[in-house]
Amino acid sequence: MAENAGLENHRIKSFKNKGRDVETMRRHRNEVTVELRKNKRDEHLLKKRNVPQEESLEDSDVDSDFKGQNVTLDAILQNATSDNVVIQLSAVQAARKLLSSDRNPPIDDLIKSGILPILVKCLERDDNPSLQFEAAWALTNIASGTSAQTQAVVKSNAVPLFLRLLHSPHQNVCEQAVWALGNIIGDGPQCRDYVISLGVVKPLLSFINPSIPITFLRNVTWVIVNLCRNKDPPPPMETVQEILPALCVLIYHTDINILVDTVWALSYLTDGGNEQIQMVIDSGVVPFLVPLLSHQEVKVQTAALRAVGNIVTGTDEQTQVVLNCDVLSHFPNLLTHPKEKINKEAVWFLSNITAGNQQQVQAVIDAGLIPMIIHQLAKGDFGTQKEAAWAISNLTISGRKDQVEFLVEQNVIPPFCNLLSVKDSQVVQVVLDGLKNILIMAVDEASTIAEIIEECGGLEKIENLQQHENEDIYKLAFEIIDQYFSGDDIDEDPSLIPETTQGGTFNFDPASNMQTKEFNF
Amino acid sequence: MFITDIRKDFYEVIANQRVALLVAADIDALCACKILQALFHCDQIQYTLVPVTGWQDLGTAFLEHKEQFRYFVLINCGANVDLLEMLQPDDDSIFFICDTHRPVDVVNVYNDTQIKLLIKQDDDLGVPSYDDIFRDEEDEDGDDSGNESDEGSEPSGKRRRYDEGAVERRIERQRARREWEARRREILFDYEQYEYHGTSAAIMFFELAWVLTKDTKDMLWWAIIGLTDQWVHDKITHMKYVTDIATMQRHVSRHNHRNEDEENSLSIDCMRISFEYDLRLTLYQHWSLYESICNSCYTSCSFKLWTLNGQKKLQEFLADMGLPLKQVRQKFNSMDMSIKENLREVLEESSNKYGMKDIRIQTFGVHFGFKNRFLAGDMVHAAAALLENTEKEESDTDNFIKALESLSRSNLDRLHSGIDLAKKKLMAVQQTVASCICTNLILSQGPFLYCYLMEGTPDVRLFSKPMALTLLSKYLLKAFVHSTRNKRCKLLPLIMAAPKDVEKGTVIVVGIPPESETSDKKNFFGRAFEKAAESTTSRTLHDNFDTSIIELKSEDRSKFLDALITLLS
Repeated sequence: MAENAGLENHRIKSFKNKGRDVETMRRHRNEVTVELRKNKRDEHLLKKRNVPQEESLEDSDVDSDFKGQNVTLDAILQNATSDNVVIQLSAVQAARKLLSSDRNPPIDDLIKSGILPILVKCLERDDNPSLQFEAAWALTNIASGTSAQTQAVVKSNAVPLFLRLLHSPHQNVCEQAVWALGNIIGDGPQCRDYVISLGVVKPLLSFINPSIPITFLRNVTWVIVNLCRNKDPPPPMETVQEILPALCVLIYHTDINILVDTVWALSYLTDGGNEQIQMVIDSGVVPFLVPLLSHQEVKVQTAALRAVGNIVTGTDEQTQVVLNCDVLSHFPNLLTHPKEKINKEAVWFLSNITAGNQQQVQAVIDAGLIPMIIHQLAKGDFGTQKEAAWAISNLTISGRKDQVEFLVEQNVIPPFCNLLSVKDSQVVQVVLDGLKNILIMAVDEASTIAEIIEECGGLEKIENLQQHENEDIYKLAFEIIDQYFSGDDIDEDPSLIPETTQGGTFNFDPASNMQTKEFNF
Repeated sequence: MFITDIRKDFYEVIANQRVALLVAADIDALCACKILQALFHCDQIQYTLVPVTGWQDLGTAFLEHKEQFRYFVLINCGANVDLLEMLQPDDDSIFFICDTHRPVDVVNVYNDTQIKLLIKQDDDLGVPSYDDIFRDEEDEDGDDSGNESDEGSEPSGKRRRYDEGAVERRIERQRARREWEARRREILFDYEQYEYHGTSAAIMFFELAWVLTKDTKDMLWWAIIGLTDQWVHDKITHMKYVTDIATMQRHVSRHNHRNEDEENSLSIDCMRISFEYDLRLTLYQHWSLYESICNSCYTSCSFKLWTLNGQKKLQEFLADMGLPLKQVRQKFNSMDMSIKENLREVLEESSNKYGMKDIRIQTFGVHFGFKNRFLAGDMVHAAAALLENTEKEESDTDNFIKALESLSRSNLDRLHSGIDLAKKKLMAVQQTVASCICTNLILSQGPFLYCYLMEGTPDVRLFSKPMALTLLSKYLLKAFVHSTRNKRCKLLPLIMAAPKDVEKGTVIVVGIPPESETSDKKNFFGRAFEKAAESTTSRTLHDNFDTSIIELKSEDRSKFLDALITLLS
């Protein structure tokens, strides 16, 4: 198998101008562009909103809130250190209530007031679990804010105390501590690894047992998601090894929230490079993951599709593990799913299969998915079309001659050429690459292909691309025109096609050439 | 935002800047433009004038000039859409909008930084209050909590724990929010439902000149023409017209008073504006009295000149006045002085007998030197005919420049050529009205009347232009109301369609409100056209600054109309 892949690689690399190798063919999800587009939109919204009073109104609103709270804030602070148990509890409770009502929780004001050390101290009060609970809740909500706010909680040295509370005999206290740790872990890789280094994983996983209440288990699962999240750097290997068996258990759970979170956790792990993908595969979870692609809940399907999609960005062998679970049988439904987002990710998945070896390409063909990919290429929304262009283009690189021919028979060329007029220059390049490969693969029938391209208006588009500002694109366009579309008057008459010699060079007969020209005039 | 101090917040801001002047194609806009040009000339303000015929034009003009200009003055365009949304300008472009189109888009009203509206706030605007239509974004965060609805989003990294009360409060708030949104839709619907027109742009800029004490008689005359345009093209109520005429009259008296000491100062190059209680006969001083009576809407409709009986009545009427046909049919200028001297009185007396009680109207006239006398209404017709000239294949910009020239007293030849065109146009209107009535081309469609001018109708090219078609529609509806016996039909609005571009297979469609003495001139067709086009996916182009004027693919006409009927029934 490995040898085989090596051969394939070699073959691909030996293509002239193929432009891509396996590395670039297997693509991770392109999140950056989405992000940019979103930012742009927000910016625009802001621009529109330079409507007047709004801000001033808002300010005065906050101001009045402020004053109202300041009075009570002082009182809270004073009472929270009171020796009187009742007074202290109600003060901490008041702080918690401020933080858990829905509008503009005064997190920064509370931090500034210096309440953090007081709350953290309350966590130590094993004699008063109610106080511990209220303080943990308040700290949870402070840590749910911005990164700076979470950091403030970490700096007040709350983490060791929360870890200690995981062993509290009172379940509500345990649960609140789990929640608080979840927020801290969710802040980013640094906090995550800090909490891991203090030993969160074992006690956390110990909560997973049949007697735990469902809401508590949901929280535990969510914290596991946060442990798996973030890849710069990814979580420590040992942690992943510890967590995976738990995920293999949780994936059987009937609660949708738990199931969804479990699958997302797997999708994060599989997004962390081939080594982590291998660990997930070795855990034996893949055969249980794949059937979730046909789960009745869209939320589950989305997460599962992401997870398996990430696995097939790995090596051909890793990809084969997923294929062995009959994954492709789920795709007719995913490709016709009413949610465009699912169509898009499904095609993205397939584009990584068509980037694989020839058996893998054949599997896509055998599953009858090519016509559906072409349908998405023609009719999908732009994001999906883009993925479909990749899927087709990848196939022209990794596929055998007969496989590419099949593609052409399915009438891929007209919708493929259609994408040559889009603005996205990456797509244009991918399509040009694909067309060029199809022409190269066709060898003798190249003129037939060229005709199809011309008939569907593709030639005109390629001609226009010779003016493209992107150097690679205009070079590609020029090459295609130069090699396949100039002097087609010669190609049309088979008797006049110059004979090819063994060396692959053409024998030109200047006399016959002259004749043709005379006839044509 | 509305500008309250037009001198300080508008004129002084642009005083030392280069300004792009984007002017719509209507006579009031031309007059406003003339006034502003005169002011700019006086203060040596550099400007670039760009005529714009529709939204697409406006967009292109903006794109072409946004690099060189920071300040844009829009005349009779731009107020009734969300301009920033449409043009997507940079943050430092500033738009001064002097536009009669109502309702003013609410975003334009409440944008403080880039949109400055030169619009009188005492006009009956009825803008919804800020709090009723805008709300701080804070609440939208609350929406995020409902991310269960957004299937397939990733789990959040941090979660806040709410207390029970908060959850309930949030549900309550979402309910309140939905209610607020429903109310907002209702308020906006009421506000945007009808299209109408406010104070003339020319008057706005004349008042600016007056505040700057730089107003001249020429400017005053242009302001009067601008106002008269609104009357001629039936854009404002009679009440509004009379009120604004009174304002103009005060300015006229002031100007005439100023020159009183130079007695008999009427010289060749001098100009005198006078308030008149003149005849409602279009162009009669430049035509024959007979032709003017035949081609003026008021008289033609009153006599029903498209009927034999009407023609007979006209003869009786002329006899009643005791005017010899020979005199009546020759050029007005050549009529006997004795007849001309008390013509107005004679005509009014006979008109009263024939049920034409409003044959006279408050208007203004101007003398350029001794020889040339023009009525404001005649100037409007002449300029409009030049602006929409279809006789020669000339660009919109050429027509715009010619129409602009006809308003200067230094170019009376242009004005006379405009008057000739206007006569042809009025005759065409009259003939088309007559043939539409006589051949029953006006169909009652239930909620409105409908009339389609077929390709091949005489003068149909003339009516491919928005102002001409609107004028025709107004005359036709008046004539129809006079001729029909069906009382219900008298109360209906009218939709008129005419071929626009034969090659492209498009028609131009206008909708006008019902005809009545007390009409508020409010037009609901703009919204209705948008909705009907949307629901039928008809291929329409809503490019005109008047939303009640659109272009439509001929093939889509019937499904579009069907949708309108359903919508308005």
